[in-house]
Amino acid sequence: MAEPLIRIENVVKQYTRDTQVLTVLDGLSLEVDKGEFVALMGPSGSGKTTLLNLIAGIDRPTSGRILVGADEVSSMSEGALAKWRSENVGFIFQLYNLVPVLTAFENVELPLLLTRLSKAERKKQAETALAVVALSDRLDHYPRQLSGGQEQRVAIARAIATDPALLVADEPTGDLDSKSGEEILVLLERLHSEFGKTIVMVTHDPKAAARAHRLVHLDKGVLKEDVRAKGEKGEIGVAAAAAIAAGK
Amino acid sequence: MKLLPLVLKNLLRKKTRSLLTIGSIVLPLFVICILGTLLRALEADPSGGKGMYRLIVRHKVSITNWLPGAYDPKIRNLPGVVETLRMNWFGGSYIDQSAKNQFARFSTSDADRLLKVFDEATVVEGSEAEWVNDRSGLLVGRQLMKRYGWKLGQKVAFKGDIYPITLELTIRAVFSAADESGVYFHHQAVEEALPRVKGFVGWYWLKTDSLAAAERVPKQIDAMFENSSYPTRSETEKEFQAMWVSMLGNVKLLVGSITTIIAIVILLIAANTMAMAARERVTEIAVLRVLGFTKEKILGLVLGESFALSVFGGALGLGLFVLLLPGFREGLVNSPMGAFGAGVRLFPEVLLLGFGVTVAVGLFAGLVPAIRSATRPITEGLRQVA
Repeated sequence: MAEPLIRIENVVKQYTRDTQVLTVLDGLSLEVDKGEFVALMGPSGSGKTTLLNLIAGIDRPTSGRILVGADEVSSMSEGALAKWRSENVGFIFQLYNLVPVLTAFENVELPLLLTRLSKAERKKQAETALAVVALSDRLDHYPRQLSGGQEQRVAIARAIATDPALLVADEPTGDLDSKSGEEILVLLERLHSEFGKTIVMVTHDPKAAARAHRLVHLDKGVLKEDVRAKGEKGEIGVAAAAAIAAGK
Repeated sequence: MKLLPLVLKNLLRKKTRSLLTIGSIVLPLFVICILGTLLRALEADPSGGKGMYRLIVRHKVSITNWLPGAYDPKIRNLPGVVETLRMNWFGGSYIDQSAKNQFARFSTSDADRLLKVFDEATVVEGSEAEWVNDRSGLLVGRQLMKRYGWKLGQKVAFKGDIYPITLELTIRAVFSAADESGVYFHHQAVEEALPRVKGFVGWYWLKTDSLAAAERVPKQIDAMFENSSYPTRSETEKEFQAMWVSMLGNVKLLVGSITTIIAIVILLIAANTMAMAARERVTEIAVLRVLGFTKEKILGLVLGESFALSVFGGALGLGLFVLLLPGFREGLVNSPMGAFGAGVRLFPEVLLLGFGVTVAVGLFAGLVPAIRSATRPITEGLRQVA
């Protein structure tokens, strides 16, 4: 039996707007095993992105505990959390969020600047990450000189540059055409299968969710459904994902 | 230091805006340094410290009131007085009354003592003796010689206003000193043309042998003539200069206020640029924090950018100032304010002021945007659409 990498214990997340308290996650508990590829689905406002942010340590729960490996991220100080993120999590955004004044290489090198690596070591690691996403020939290109799919691949290279165990992706194909989106999903699958990364991905797209091996469906801040793959290739399947997303 | 390239790249992100902001630092900083230099020059002692030993004795009521020339031996015999000089302001005009032809014209009853009192001055052309021995001789500052292209032996005519006479004088010697913008001639030439002024002087200029004498003698002189028809007011050369400056009003406060306002304007412009830059990058900064950049690093990045912007502007402004200062001095020396220009030089404290303004602008312009960027919740930054 695989050991859990992420443990979410009775997590509540509330936001206060003026005098109104909004409960986004309501006593959620969940475990994600090491090496799992999990898709988080659910309607808008169901708490998917909030949960992803909590797992990635960029937000804090109102109550409950979140553990990633042996680290209780929900109780870390801001400084410790920043260090923890730089070493343990790679974040992939829907809109890539590359720094426009930096080249592809420099964007990938960014998280490595926070490490103690030498310039040569940083160069080697950034080039390796860009080779993994098949962009070795685009090192000196600026984001504006790349297509959307290429930008997202650079963003993935940036996410894996420090070789984190956990990758979190927020709608990684949401801003791409179907062909580029497919390439990104293939790449994520490869990172999972070849490099053993644990991936938690928020998506609205059943086709993207179908590539995951586990589908967690949230609604109104609670876990509605948690389905593990049974298919031949260990994937959820588009029809099943669509059905779950539709709440059937 | 690893993040310096990122700081510089961010600075060049909006080149036009950065250049305009740098320009808005360069020119006002140049003006601040020029104003600071003028203020410092007003307070400066162009004699190189020798003026501390010199005293001025004038009429108690006003410098426009004459004193008897007969005071000379009484003053001269006071212990601590090394030399005395009877001086007059001739005024008048050269060529015409226009501003470009204004310069100081003094006459002295004691030409042989002039370079003993002002011993920091040296004769560089002609000789002191030639000037002293020629009652219609003229001693001219080197700068003024250059300004008018005069030659030794040339005759120069001054038309009087206080004294209704025209003097034709011959240039016999040229002197070099901190202030080379004036001319000196024999008061006897004036007295011969206008006998009624004989026996009176505008003021006395004395040289003392020590700082203690320079402090003691003024009191002694004023006490000596207190009950006479011509009471005196004696003071050090520095106090005398300060009196002239004070006649311009509270120059220090005025220049200080202008400098402060200019510094605040630079600060506001730079702060506006930094606020715009930070506002445009809210999401980007949130992404950096997701990657693991701490609050301190974000604070450093934004402040570093503000600092780099200010340092570029400051370096250019100070460079421009250092480069143009000799020309500015030259222009001032050749203007009616020539004596004023004599004190103009590169004052280290003015450079320090410019450097201080640069640092303050860099620090304070970036402070608020930096704190905001570093403390805004990451999730809020990620939600913002640029």
